[in-house]
Amino acid sequence: MYRIRFHGRGGQGMKTASRILGSAFFREGYEVQDAPRYGAERRGAPIFAYVRAAQRPIHERGGIAQPDLVVVADETLTPIPAAGVLAGVSARTVLLINSAESEDAWKARLNYAGRIVRLPGGGETRERAETATIGAICAGAAARLVGRISREALALAVDDEIAALGREAAEKSRERALAAFDALDFAEGCVMEGEAHDARGYAAPEWVELAAEAALAAAPDIRAVATSVEVRTGLWRTLRPVIDYDHCKGCSWVCSTLCPDSAIQVDAEGAPRIDYDHCKGCLVCVAVCPPHAIRALPEKDVQQAQEATA
Amino acid sequence: MSEHVIQRMKDLPSTHLLGSGTPMCAGCGGLGALHEIYDLLGTRTVFVNAAGCMTLLSVYPFTPFRGSWLYTAMASAPAGAQGVRDALDILLEHKRIPPEDDLSTVVLTGDGAAYGMGLSATSGAIERGLDFLYLCYDNEGYGNTGQQFSGATPHAARTSTSAGARGYSGEKKDLFSIWTAHRPVYAATVIGAEPLDLAKKIEKAKRLTGPRLVLALAPCPTGWDFDPQQTVEIGRLAVRTGIWPLKEYLDGKVVHTRVPHPRQPVEDYLKTQGRFRHLFEPARNEALLGEIQARVDAYWANVE
Ligand SMILES: Cc1ncc(C[n+]2csc(CCOP(=O)(O)OP(=O)(O)O)c2C)c(N)n1
Ligand code: SF4
Ligand code: SF4
Ligand code: SF4
Ligand SMILES: [Mg+2]
Repeated sequence: MYRIRFHGRGGQGMKTASRILGSAFFREGYEVQDAPRYGAERRGAPIFAYVRAAQRPIHERGGIAQPDLVVVADETLTPIPAAGVLAGVSARTVLLINSAESEDAWKARLNYAGRIVRLPGGGETRERAETATIGAICAGAAARLVGRISREALALAVDDEIAALGREAAEKSRERALAAFDALDFAEGCVMEGEAHDARGYAAPEWVELAAEAALAAAPDIRAVATSVEVRTGLWRTLRPVIDYDHCKGCSWVCSTLCPDSAIQVDAEGAPRIDYDHCKGCLVCVAVCPPHAIRALPEKDVQQAQEATA
Repeated sequence: MSEHVIQRMKDLPSTHLLGSGTPMCAGCGGLGALHEIYDLLGTRTVFVNAAGCMTLLSVYPFTPFRGSWLYTAMASAPAGAQGVRDALDILLEHKRIPPEDDLSTVVLTGDGAAYGMGLSATSGAIERGLDFLYLCYDNEGYGNTGQQFSGATPHAARTSTSAGARGYSGEKKDLFSIWTAHRPVYAATVIGAEPLDLAKKIEKAKRLTGPRLVLALAPCPTGWDFDPQQTVEIGRLAVRTGIWPLKEYLDGKVVHTRVPHPRQPVEDYLKTQGRFRHLFEPARNEALLGEIQARVDAYWANVE
C-alpha cells in the first residue's frame, strides 16, 4: 500500500492535492482513500492531507504515521514542530520539497537519511493568487514519484477535481501538474509501497491513567485573560508586512483598526507597531494603508537577512 | 469605558483588547468586526458563543478574551444569554455582587445559527425583552464545516453544497426585517470595513437596555474564495454597490446610515470573489447578473 502525506498551509490546496492524486490512482484501478485532517486551524496554518492507495481493499484508517512519501509544499513548515513534517519518516521515505535550495542542503539541514527530491521550479516566488496551484503541482510530482500513474490519468484527475473552480483555473492547474510530472522523469517510481500493517501486531499506546476528577476541577475553565497570545500565529506568515516609517503618516487608526488580528498596536508616540509574533500575513494592512507605506516582503528573505546580520 | 463619543476615525480606540494568536483564518472579516466591537464593549462582558468558526476562539487553554466566554449548542446562544443574565440579576438582587461587578451579556453567533436553527431562540429572547447584545457575523454560509449554504447565502453564490452554473438557488433571508418586526430596542447592520459607522452603532447600542441586535457582514476569504488582503476592500464594495445596506432601527424607525451615491454596479463586488466566478466564466451570465442588480435596485428604490 502507498501511504502519502501532504504538508502545506491552509490556502495552498493540500486537500486538492490529495484529491487529485487519489483520483489519479483510482483511474489506474487502485482502491483509494484521500482526506485532509480536520483541525481548528485555518488559512495560513499548517495543514495535512493523506492518500492511501492499494490494489486490495484498504482497512487502515486515520492519519498516516509512517509515510512512504512526504510532500512539503511549503519549506517554511520544516522547523515548526506542530507541522510534524518529519513525523514517522524512515530511510525509505522519500521527501518531496518545494524549495529553491538543493537536495543536499536539505539532507544536511534535516539530517535526512532517505531520498530528497526537489519540486521542479521549487521555491520560485509566485504570486499569492497562484498558491492554489501548488496543490496541483505537488499532486503531479507525487504521481510521477510513485510511478503507477499515467500522464493521461493525471490530466483527467486534475479536471475531475478542479472543474468547479472555472476553466482558467483548471487549465492552469492541469498545465502545471503535467509540467511537474514531466520534469520528474529522473525520479520515476522512486517511492516504494509500504508493507501492509497487521492489526495483530498492534501495540497499544502507553496510556496514562487519569483518575476521574470532580466536575468543578475537571471542567475546562480558563482563568487567565488573553492566553491566545501564547500561540505564535506569526509562523503562519509567508509574506511579511513592513512599515516604511519615512512614509508613514501616523494615521494608525487605519491600519491598527483594520488589522483583523489585533497585530498592530499603537505606541506611546501614536506610531503603528506590527507584532510579528502574531501577524498572520494577511496583508490587509498593506492594502488599506493610504500612502502605501507598508510593503510585503517574502518572510523567508527577511529571516535570511536577519540571520546574516545576527 | 468612557463617555467619549466617537465622531471621527481618530476617535477609534487605539488599544486593542482582543488577544492575538487566534485560530481564525488570516484576513477573517468576522474576526475583524469582532475585534473592533470588543475594543468598544470592553472586558466587562460575558460572550455566549453558538457553535461556528468563532467557537474555536477559545479552545482550552487559549482564549483571546479578557472577560468571560461561554460555549453553547448552535441553536441555543440566546437561551444561554438568558441564563447568564438571570444569574447576574439574582446575584445583584441578593447583594452577592456589588453593582459595579455587573457584566453585560453578548451573544456571538454565525449566520447558520442566526438565520436558521437559532432563530426561534432569538425570537423568544427579544419577546421576553432580554437585556443583551446579539452579534451575528454573517459569512453567508456554514463556514466552520466547509461553507455549506445557509439561510444567509446570497442567490447564485457557489457553496460546497450549491455547485453548478447557477450556484445557490435560494434567496438570502432578510434577517434585519425579521428582527425589527419583533420591535427590539435596537438593531443595526455593520461591517468591519467601515469602522466608524460600526463604532457609532455599537456605542449607541451600549447605552441602551433591552434586546439589541447587530448583524455584521463578514467577508470570508476561505468560504468566498478571495485573497485575504482583499477583506476590507470587498467589505467597502459591499457597501458602495448597495448589496449590504448600512442601517439602524431605533424607536420603531429604520434609518440608513450610508446611502451610496452613486451606487457602483453590483458586479464590481461579485467579480472579486471566486464563489461568483461562474457568473463571469466561461461566459457572462447576463440573466443572473441582471437579476441580482435588479434586486439591489429595487431595494434602494424603496429607500431613496
Ligand atoms: C445542531 C448542530 N448541528 C450541526 C453542527 C455542526 N456545526 C458546527 S459549526 C457549524 C456551522 C455553523 O455555521 P454558522 O453559524 O454560519 O457559523 P460559521 O461556521 O460560518 O462561523 C455546524 C453546522 C452543530 N454544532 N450543531
Ligand atoms: S495606515 Fe499606513 S501611514 Fe497610516 S499609520 Fe498605518 S502604516 Fe502609517
Ligand atoms: S498582515 Fe497586517 S493586517 Fe494582516 S495580521 Fe499582519 S499586521 Fe495585521
Ligand atoms: S472560514 Fe471564514 S469566517 Fe471562518 S475563520 Fe475562516 S475566514 Fe473567518
Ligand atoms: Mg456562517
